[in-house]
Amino acid sequence: MNLNRRAVVWLSAVIVAVNGFFPAVWMLLTSFKTETELIRSPITYLPIAPTLANYVTAFTAQPILRFMANSVIVAGLSTLLCIVIGALAAYALTRLRMPHRNLVMSLLLAVAMFPLISLMVPLFKLMRELGLLNTYFALIMPYAVLSLPVCTLVMAAFFQDIPPDLEAAAMVDGCSRVGALFRVVMPLAAPGVFTAAILAFVNAWDEFLLALTMMNRVSMRTLSVGITLYQGEFAFPWPLISAALVVAIVPICILIAVFQERVVGGLTAGGVKG
Amino acid sequence: MTARKDLSERALGVLLLTPAALLLAAIVVYPVATLLWTSLTGVDNANPGAGEKFVGFDNYLRAFDDDRFWHSLWQTVVYVAVTVPAALLVGLGLALLANRPFRMKWPVRLGLLLPWALPLVFAGLIFRWFFEYQTGVVNDLLATVGIAPQNWLSDPTLATVAICTAIVWKASSFMALMLLAGLQTIPRSLYEAAEVDGATAWQQFVEITLPMLRPAIFVALIFRTITAIQTFDIPYAMTGGGPGDSTETLAMYIHKTTLDFLDFGYGSALAALMFLLSMAATSGYLRYTRRSAGREER
Amino acid sequence: MRLIFIALTVAALALPASAQQQQQTTLRIFTGGQQRPDVMRKIADEYQKKNPNVKIEVEVGGATSEAQQQYLTTVLSSKDSALDVILIDVIRPAQWAAQGWAEPLDAYLGSDKAKILPAYLKAYADADQVGGKLVALPYFADAQFLYYRKDLLDKYKRPVPKSWDEMMETARVILDGEKNPQLQGFSTAGAPIEGTVCTYLVPLWGTGSDIVKDGRLNLDTVEARQPFQLYGRMKQAGVLPKNIAEIPTDRIRVDFQAGNVVFAQNWGYFWNRVENDADTKVKGKVGVTILPHDQGGKSATCIGGWQLAVSAYSKNKQEAVKFARWLSSPEVSKMQAVLASHLPVFPSVYRDPEVLAANPWFADALPVVETAKSRPVSAQYPQVSDAIRSNMNAYLAGTKTTDGALADMKSRLKPLYK
Repeated sequence: MNLNRRAVVWLSAVIVAVNGFFPAVWMLLTSFKTETELIRSPITYLPIAPTLANYVTAFTAQPILRFMANSVIVAGLSTLLCIVIGALAAYALTRLRMPHRNLVMSLLLAVAMFPLISLMVPLFKLMRELGLLNTYFALIMPYAVLSLPVCTLVMAAFFQDIPPDLEAAAMVDGCSRVGALFRVVMPLAAPGVFTAAILAFVNAWDEFLLALTMMNRVSMRTLSVGITLYQGEFAFPWPLISAALVVAIVPICILIAVFQERVVGGLTAGGVKG
Repeated sequence: MTARKDLSERALGVLLLTPAALLLAAIVVYPVATLLWTSLTGVDNANPGAGEKFVGFDNYLRAFDDDRFWHSLWQTVVYVAVTVPAALLVGLGLALLANRPFRMKWPVRLGLLLPWALPLVFAGLIFRWFFEYQTGVVNDLLATVGIAPQNWLSDPTLATVAICTAIVWKASSFMALMLLAGLQTIPRSLYEAAEVDGATAWQQFVEITLPMLRPAIFVALIFRTITAIQTFDIPYAMTGGGPGDSTETLAMYIHKTTLDFLDFGYGSALAALMFLLSMAATSGYLRYTRRSAGREER
Repeated sequence: MRLIFIALTVAALALPASAQQQQQTTLRIFTGGQQRPDVMRKIADEYQKKNPNVKIEVEVGGATSEAQQQYLTTVLSSKDSALDVILIDVIRPAQWAAQGWAEPLDAYLGSDKAKILPAYLKAYADADQVGGKLVALPYFADAQFLYYRKDLLDKYKRPVPKSWDEMMETARVILDGEKNPQLQGFSTAGAPIEGTVCTYLVPLWGTGSDIVKDGRLNLDTVEARQPFQLYGRMKQAGVLPKNIAEIPTDRIRVDFQAGNVVFAQNWGYFWNRVENDADTKVKGKVGVTILPHDQGGKSATCIGGWQLAVSAYSKNKQEAVKFARWLSSPEVSKMQAVLASHLPVFPSVYRDPEVLAANPWFADALPVVETAKSRPVSAQYPQVSDAIRSNMNAYLAGTKTTDGALADMKSRLKPLYK
């Protein structure tokens, strides 16, 4: 019985890992190949004559480290902004007796429903009027807004599950409502907060269209746009782009690997209590 | 005493919502207002120098007659109908698998989140390569079981299947993440009590897991649906809308109309129609929650 | 005492420099990632040396023509003055003229215009003139060529084909002889990309016909069906790759370089890559010639290349035009040919010994480039392109018949050619 259980656990781990890793592993293997090898038929999985040339080109052809730094700054700050503003909004929606709560929630959702392409030209004009083009703000603000609906609703869902008596106790001790929010509710809703944060971060990391438009100076480009600069008018050098992507993904992987500990750590405590 | 408390609560609520409201007003409301205004104008692109003129609802009426609009709308509906449930099922499966006690947790959690870390555009390109006729991994695997190589991206039906596979792969990661967070707030004591009562794994799943996951499922479904309606990056990267225009989604048609054809008026009208579609889809969800929430309160 | 002397000397030396700086103009030129911004930088440095009061900044845009145009659309629609000179694709001048984004250059060139224009390759100079106004100046040229495997043609003793049917036969003979399942007879762009417009147009032009005649749509002819029927025959002969509807431009090069293609229709960049890349398997085996035509017709190739436009919203138009003129001169054309292997826009430069030393195949390229024809000139070119390439792609994928594809093309193009 125990062996059976353990086998199931192992199999589950393998399935989840394989599902997530296989394109990344394929990219890793491709980054060591040449273009000609890539189109061999039948295809090869392991590179026949592994080469580091792609990595060398990846670092020298474009300032990839700069792109990464830009992405981290923009995604990080926009996530922070989104979480803070979203937490305030989520708290108002779940804890305070407010009229038209459903209307507000619907409006929040409505915001997410317009395709970004159509908002591009007015948004560009706005950023230009404010003199914010080619600054980090031009992306931080829209990214925070892009993820605001999902983050607010996720955090709201988690806030709802937390009994209000805990805050009441804190307020009896002299805490303000907002103080109670940040000191009592959010730590307890940690899995929700970290989930919302990861969602916001990756939304910002992924984003292409706005980044292409708001930042035209190469030194300010983010990763998702920067990597397409390796592309040619006609050409798409897969091995080179795979190498660049591997370089881009590794720090994110480390970040996520570290991050997920806190998600688990935060809630096993809650689970045990429950 | 209660009246003052009510008032101060309401005031505080408004105060807490203000930052969000300001940000939204600047970044969304203003562009949306411009969008709606533009949808009521038109420019003769053969002679743009003449400027734009007010055309009322002409752009909307034009969409009604436009075959390409209806086709892209249909294609979008197909993607939504297939990928939203599929992503939910796959995501739920992945979340359940990932919720087990592993000794080393990070490979599993990382495997769960990696599809999310890969930029959407590149996920699309990677899958395009996977489904490539001569050198794609999929045809290679099919060959090992004796099936002839398929022209995935040159056939409308197969291309749709390929695109849905890529979308579900990426989206299930998002679902799994939301559901995992939900799963991990379910206290173990409930399961332990159920086991003592002799409930099977399936019964535990249906009677404990699913109901407790409902809020997480709800949020995940709403956002997955809205995103699915806006499907752009993956079909764009995989087929460019081909063969012909058969895999073109509404978002792709809007993109082409606005940025390629420079028909801002028509593009804006299509975007407004997409918004109405999203409203219709999510109002269904919202009505369901209101009803079930009402039921629970009783 | 010495200190005061030194201070005065430094001040004296600094004065002329600061006086100069007060007159300095900064020009920004926008180029795509693939038009060799590194070479553009070198060229810009040369200009700065000759014109000390001008500083040139090179802004590098997206890698593809589409990505660049999307960015430029957003910027120019909001009348941004950040860019002065913009490098645009040869298919853009008509659209830019209509949108008012390109500053007409006639007034700035004055009488020089009559001297400058005839020096260019005719088709390229014509492509930049819209409605009687000069909208851009040619920067470098491009065209589609027929590349072939000299060694295979020699092995089977086949001459270089002049007509499509000859090419098909030769390809068939070679395929039968080589018995290599990976070998493709003829490859060209088939994915729904811009290059596929040329895939339709080149055979059409080879019959002597064109899409537009006297400003009117000309698709009701027998010739309009030819491209579809030709590719239908090629498919049946087994000469095309099975997934032709997926093939983008560069994939042809990768396949050719690996030795898997006999005949390829592709642009100028092809030559250097297949001859000089480190991992090429076909070095020394590549021939280049003009694209085939139909029996009784004449060969034509698709025009390509990039043009220099001056932004209508620039704040430094005089300086920008001066810079653009220099960039579009034989001197710079030669620099580009030597440093970047860009095809020149001046016939004279093709014969320059230094240019030929760097690019020996330019001697073969000139006659081809001289037969270049423009893709349909229209202010709404993106819609035209979309109608043609989408249907060519559908036909190649087998989802539309000749009649269906032609009917759809007609219905989409009619509103544009009223």
